[in-house]
Amino acid sequence: MNRRRWLIKLLLAALAHRTGRTLLLLSVLAMASSLATALGVVSLSMGKRVSEEVRKYGANLVVVPAAARLEVGSGGLNFGAISDPAYLDQGRVEKALASGGLKAERSFHLRGALRMKDADVLVEGVNFADVRRLFPWWQLRGGWPGPGETVVGSDLAQRLKLKAGDTVELTGTAQTLKLKVSGVVVTGGEEDDLFFLALPELQGALGLPGQLTEVRLLVSAEGDTLKDKAAALQPLLPDAKVREVRQIARTSEGLLAKVKLLMTLVTAVVLISAGSSVTGTMSTTVLERSREIGLMKAIGGTRWEVLLIFCGEALLLGVVGGVVGYLLGSGIAVFITRTVFSAAPEFIPWLSAVSLAVSLFLALLGSVGPMISVFKLDPVRSLRGE
Amino acid sequence: MTVPTIQTAGLTKGYGDICALKPLDLQVAEGEWLSVMGHSGSGKSTLMNLVGGLDRPSGGSLSVGGQDLSALSEDGLARFRREFVGIIFQQHHLVPYLSAVENVMLSQYFHSVPDEAEARLALERVGLGHRLKNRPGELSGGEQQRVCIARAIINSPKLLLGDEPTGNLDHKSTVMVLELLKELRAEDRFTVVLVTHNEEVAAWGDRTIYLDDGVLVREERLRS
Repeated sequence: MNRRRWLIKLLLAALAHRTGRTLLLLSVLAMASSLATALGVVSLSMGKRVSEEVRKYGANLVVVPAAARLEVGSGGLNFGAISDPAYLDQGRVEKALASGGLKAERSFHLRGALRMKDADVLVEGVNFADVRRLFPWWQLRGGWPGPGETVVGSDLAQRLKLKAGDTVELTGTAQTLKLKVSGVVVTGGEEDDLFFLALPELQGALGLPGQLTEVRLLVSAEGDTLKDKAAALQPLLPDAKVREVRQIARTSEGLLAKVKLLMTLVTAVVLISAGSSVTGTMSTTVLERSREIGLMKAIGGTRWEVLLIFCGEALLLGVVGGVVGYLLGSGIAVFITRTVFSAAPEFIPWLSAVSLAVSLFLALLGSVGPMISVFKLDPVRSLRGE
Repeated sequence: MTVPTIQTAGLTKGYGDICALKPLDLQVAEGEWLSVMGHSGSGKSTLMNLVGGLDRPSGGSLSVGGQDLSALSEDGLARFRREFVGIIFQQHHLVPYLSAVENVMLSQYFHSVPDEAEARLALERVGLGHRLKNRPGELSGGEQQRVCIARAIINSPKLLLGDEPTGNLDHKSTVMVLELLKELRAEDRFTVVLVTHNEEVAAWGDRTIYLDDGVLVREERLRS
């Protein structure tokens, strides 16, 4: 039998002899590496999932015209500010977005006032296909409009006593539009007080072809922060202001960062506890086996050869603990991501290596102190049981 | 004239303020069986540990098999032990989770390459051919000591050391073990140094030295 095979046989026999302690060490190592695996999978899956969740809240960047603003006042009195109506050029915005390489879903908006009977009403021109994709929370009673049709906000519809199928006449500076109400929209926001019609129709009525008052963008929250993405886009649109929709974006980013920090801290605490536990158990094992160590040295084992046997045991435990931990951690990750995030976990192959590394690192680090004892142990004294 | 297996001159060993072995001049010839007698604390185990390379002298010179042991490093002493010495302990010190044959193979592992056939043969030589797969817990005291002897002789040592090897055995097992050692020495021609406090056991040797408080006080040659 060659030396390596004999050594493995010896290690397995030693570990099997102390079943309880071996299982305890394996449990500690598997628990620590499974936690690292589970938190790794959950953390990576969570970033994607939160990003998907944030998408449900619509756009997270808004581009508006950088309107000239003039403070009005005299003799210490401030009468407020006036700003020139300013518009974004749709063509320039599209070009800027394309040249910036920003992967984003977009929705173009033009808001203005049209005359209805003898009162002004606020009207927003949009592309309804974009609206349906970016603002999935809109609830529509009736149908989405086709050409010559409009949808009206629920509050406005109530005030004007409008319902699906009614006809309205809206007059702009350039054209008068006769539109059929296809549906009533409820959002719970300012949209409930507006008319919505197709963007080119409103641009025509207002005599503002190719002009916009707002562009809403939905960019992925993964990777760079939204602030970075807004900053990258700003120089491409010098006549516009690129702003974050701060509330949701910042909250999602902040929450994600805090949850990840919490996970990191929990993992660190568990790893430290597991390391201490390994040290304690290995120290007890070495103490119990001091006569065996003394014997090995007495019959001719050098300090390094005897140390190799105990390091081998730690390595073997580390490998088995890492494999068990990865499998266990993957199971925990599946459970957490399914129950908490209602999503399938994202499995990353290199996490198996991380799990193995965590287990091996703990097994070896936790064994450093006991291994020094093994190395230094005097055979005569240990055989005497001192 | 043959070179003595063991040669000491002014050999001393101290532990702090305690002098366990006072200057000792001793020669043990190749193939000789030396019994070392003395009460507890007389220095006999200290002498055995020094000769076996398990401990280092505090002073004087110590040569075993022509090697100056005080010049060897710790790992050098370990290599000396596995190449040159076989040790039989009073407490047997068998590894509890290994079978009889595996305990013998452990000694081979540190010496060179474990060889089960050779280990079996060694156990057969000590009359344990039928107990190869038994673990120490399943063997009697006498059988455990015979496994210990098989482990000690497996690497063909030039020097066999016994530290009260029959101290835990009944009379029948004691005789059996000593007979066995006598037979093995006749076949393998190794030198024996056997520490004991039992006159009957010491009488199996060629020569007996008596230690008292670390001093060689008497020497008796029983046979040449």
